[in-house]
Amino acid sequence: MNNRNKKNKTLTIAYLFPTALILLVFIIAPIIYTFYLSFFNWNLIAPTKDFVGLENYFSIFTDPVNRKILLNTVFYILLLLFLNFLVPYFISIIVKFFISKMQTAYKIIFFIPSLFSLVVGAMLFSWIMNPVSGPVAFFMRGLGLTLPNWTNSGAMAVVVICLITNWKVFGYNFVLLLTGLGSVPQNIIDATKMDSIPKWRMIWDIVLPLNKSIAFYVLILTIVQGLQYVFTPISVITQGGPYYGSSNALYHTYLNAFVLYKTGNASALAIVTFVIFLVLLYLEIKFVEGRTNRYE
Amino acid sequence: MKFLTLFKRTVGIIVLMMVAVLFAGCSSGKAASKKVVHISYWHVNAQTQGGASVDALVKKFNKTHKYIKVTAKYNPNMYQGLMQNLQSAQASGKVPDVVQVGWAYMNYFADNFKYLTPTDAQSKFDGSKTFISKNFTTRTLSFAKDSKGKLVGLPYSLSTPVLYYNKTMLDKYGIKASSLSTWEGVSAAAKKIKEASGNYGLYIQEPADTWAQQALQLSNGAKVKKNGKAAFASAAGVKAYQFYQDMVIKDKTALHTPWAQGVDDFVNGKVAIAYTTVAQASHIKQSANFDVEAITSPHFKGHKATVPVGGSMLAITAQSTEKQKAAWTFEKYLYKNSSLVTWSKGTGYLPPTQSALSSQTFKNYLSKNPMLKPAASQIKTAVAWTSFAKNGLQAEQTMIDARDKILSGSNVQATLKNAQEKINEQQK
Repeated sequence: MNNRNKKNKTLTIAYLFPTALILLVFIIAPIIYTFYLSFFNWNLIAPTKDFVGLENYFSIFTDPVNRKILLNTVFYILLLLFLNFLVPYFISIIVKFFISKMQTAYKIIFFIPSLFSLVVGAMLFSWIMNPVSGPVAFFMRGLGLTLPNWTNSGAMAVVVICLITNWKVFGYNFVLLLTGLGSVPQNIIDATKMDSIPKWRMIWDIVLPLNKSIAFYVLILTIVQGLQYVFTPISVITQGGPYYGSSNALYHTYLNAFVLYKTGNASALAIVTFVIFLVLLYLEIKFVEGRTNRYE
Repeated sequence: MKFLTLFKRTVGIIVLMMVAVLFAGCSSGKAASKKVVHISYWHVNAQTQGGASVDALVKKFNKTHKYIKVTAKYNPNMYQGLMQNLQSAQASGKVPDVVQVGWAYMNYFADNFKYLTPTDAQSKFDGSKTFISKNFTTRTLSFAKDSKGKLVGLPYSLSTPVLYYNKTMLDKYGIKASSLSTWEGVSAAAKKIKEASGNYGLYIQEPADTWAQQALQLSNGAKVKKNGKAAFASAAGVKAYQFYQDMVIKDKTALHTPWAQGVDDFVNGKVAIAYTTVAQASHIKQSANFDVEAITSPHFKGHKATVPVGGSMLAITAQSTEKQKAAWTFEKYLYKNSSLVTWSKGTGYLPPTQSALSSQTFKNYLSKNPMLKPAASQIKTAVAWTSFAKNGLQAEQTMIDARDKILSGSNVQATLKNAQEKINEQQK
């Protein structure tokens, strides 16, 4: 028995080794190096790095631009949660329980945009939504309305950028959530019909709790992946402008690192973002995976 | 059986040795004659932006030069992308030999990379040592000098901002193009158009640099940099920006929007006048369905029009003498009149040498593309694009931030003053 256990252990390590190696080289080592760089002033290429201690971290919380960017990041997360999580969830519930026909068709139609590149999407939308000469502005003018010049307002630019990522992510999240809803046992749903329990109560008390783990997964995905996805439209359309109004932590990290070559500031910001994501992941593990363990 | 195996092995070894001798003979035979030097040339020209003419030039060079082989490599995302790739190349120790460097990156390049100055290349490889002084004017060379006055590379692509106008629209409202020679005139025209049609009068380009805005300030007698320090918050500088802000915010006659959208709005006939680089000429000509013309940069009343030059220079990053020599030969080929005209036609940039500018083929090209004429005439009075000695890229970002703030309505004087102080703080 003991011998077998030992053999199992070696096998486990052997099986995990390739993945662990890749993780170490491409994820863990860069994170450690980024952490190291965050204590220096460096321009990516100079032979010497100036040690500045925690200065880069202080500047994140004292510099008004950085504070603006952290606030924007929160704004992005809230908006993405609404657009890329709540709305698809709502619609998938409607499609699952209130519309009996054409479910597959909806799946396909909603899924198509997620096959397109975001660069293409961003360029298309920047043309369609051009407030002066784009088609949307043209039709609105026909109705006697004017499209506000959204690129000049941080808040409006953020909304448009989120809508562009929504166009891409919606279908994927929708399909995930719909599949989750499909795995709710049919006999329970049939039982509620026999007992003539109203549909909304069936959904609220039975379906949503049973679908919790998928929902949580999509929720975390929305935040982590969403913040990365908005990078492309920001880079294509606004470059973070007007005056960092549509920038977020990820884009600002890129700007510092690869446009201004302020590696230290960029690394510090990357580490702060990393910690924020780590907390989110901890919550995910605690609430989602911790729960399933208890049932076992 | 055993004997057979031994025989096989012996034959095998003999064959191997013969092959080895053959190859050795080959390589020694080559060494006896002249060796081909391979060099690489990094450029930023996508197929739609002159990439084809780069390929044509390189192909022709390789055909006519037996012992040098040039490989051209396209770098996406313009000069910024090239600079990023150059950093990784430097880190891995495998650098290219000739690179295009955007003016904004000049000081950063000079401070952080190893390169051979054109002056050194000339004195090292040339018999006559007059190539540079014969082909370039002092003014053109000044574009490529770093903050210490050292010539970093040779100017290669030149561009200047010009004023494009929708002739159809201007004619409709009785505005004469000659009235657009001053910014005051442009503003009056914009007002007229706004009142009559509701369209915007003016768009000034807003990319991730403040090139056009610097031209505006310079044409009011302001200086962007004075004695190595930022000086754009002077009275004249503030006045120019105030004028621009009033048009955007108070009168709403000028449009404030990102670059691509602004040019789209112009070619769609929603903006009457656009102030942007001459490099946009072919795009504007192809996309506009109205009569479009271009004139030289306007100036403020009582001042001369002064524009900063845009584009790039060629720098030699080759490390070995052999490759440096090949790179210098290639550069000299690129500065031949015929090469420069091919280059201009492909990219819309202006040639950097006097003889190419005044060559007949270039003149013929200009008469076919009249929108380039104002840009060519401005080259003679253009100044270098301001590049700060220390933290130049951050200084540019600070100026972009100031532009964003001003066009969103913040106080011009205070914003410019803050930006100026911030830049000067970083120069220490």
